[in-house]
Amino acid sequence: MIYSWKKILKNSFPILTLAVLVEIFAGQLLQFHQEKLILFPIFLITIPVINSVGGNIGSILGARLASGLHVGHIELDIKDKNMHKNFLHSLLIGLCTYAILAILIYYLSYFRNIQMIVGFMEFVSIIVGTGLLLILLISFISITTAFWSFKKGKDPDDFVAPVVTTVGDTFGIIFFFMILGVVGL
Amino acid sequence: MYAKEMWIQSLPLLVVCGIGAILAGNTLSAMADILEEIPGLIVIIPAVIAMRGNISTALGSRLGSAYHLGIINKDNLWNEDLKQNMKGSLLLSLIMSFLIGILAYISSLFFNVSPNPLQLICIVVIAGVLSGLILIALTVAIIYLVFKRGYDPDNVTGPALATFGDIITMLCLFGSAVFVGGIL
Repeated sequence: MIYSWKKILKNSFPILTLAVLVEIFAGQLLQFHQEKLILFPIFLITIPVINSVGGNIGSILGARLASGLHVGHIELDIKDKNMHKNFLHSLLIGLCTYAILAILIYYLSYFRNIQMIVGFMEFVSIIVGTGLLLILLISFISITTAFWSFKKGKDPDDFVAPVVTTVGDTFGIIFFFMILGVVGL
Repeated sequence: MYAKEMWIQSLPLLVVCGIGAILAGNTLSAMADILEEIPGLIVIIPAVIAMRGNISTALGSRLGSAYHLGIINKDNLWNEDLKQNMKGSLLLSLIMSFLIGILAYISSLFFNVSPNPLQLICIVVIAGVLSGLILIALTVAIIYLVFKRGYDPDNVTGPALATFGDIITMLCLFGSAVFVGGIL
């Protein structure tokens, strides 16, 4: 037996507490924009999507790196080719996912008669733009966290997912309102 | 081969998970009235969803590595390593839920919003523990199915859990907010 619930609690507690602190900040950002979100429900629908895809891309990348490091086909080297390949494909897969989902949200909202305040191309650009910024940041953090924790002799599986989802949620919301600000909404 | 496998196993799943997130988003937009009624409720939402996602994806990810290390496999799934993982995840859910309720209350005071602390903490703890129980059961079920189909758990469990997690957590939050809002 290599796992024990005490070790899992001990490994996860500090990072989860930190994650919760940051997420409460993200929640306060939402509370600050609450009126805008309730007035335009399409934004309220979009936020979990932005955060979910960002977190998933980072978690897949992190889990693949963790297994690669455990098994030994990824080296602890910033120039590792397998790591680069994983990053590049994560980015491309992520951008495709954002584009497909943006189209789905737009048409779903259109048929539900939800009030639209942006055109189709503009909406898709907002989501893909937010996604690009988010994936670049998340991949960087995913790789750094996986390498750092593995080097420290800790299990990357306990660290990568909390770190990337937390950063993803907070910066997903920040980048989204930032891009909305840039297009004047 | 390596990259192709990643696209084939990840992209469709990410889109399906995204559709799950769209459903979670629609649940959130259906909560608009209760969000206005219970001050501080919107603050706990990212934290509860993230806690849920963090705990269950970490569980899925650990089980993925356990598979690569040969500790669990499709013929030897229900063992002590798995049980320790489940127990750890559930205890974390309980402790973290309390913490979220308390922090959401205190931080709101700084922004001139005064939630009812008891109400907020009850909503988080009920939603957190309930969704924790459901999600842990679901994690083990997904791991079992992934083994049976011979997929690499690392490409599948993370996103699958994050999304089922989002919907289940939103529904638990909605239910818990309506329930607690009705009595407290």
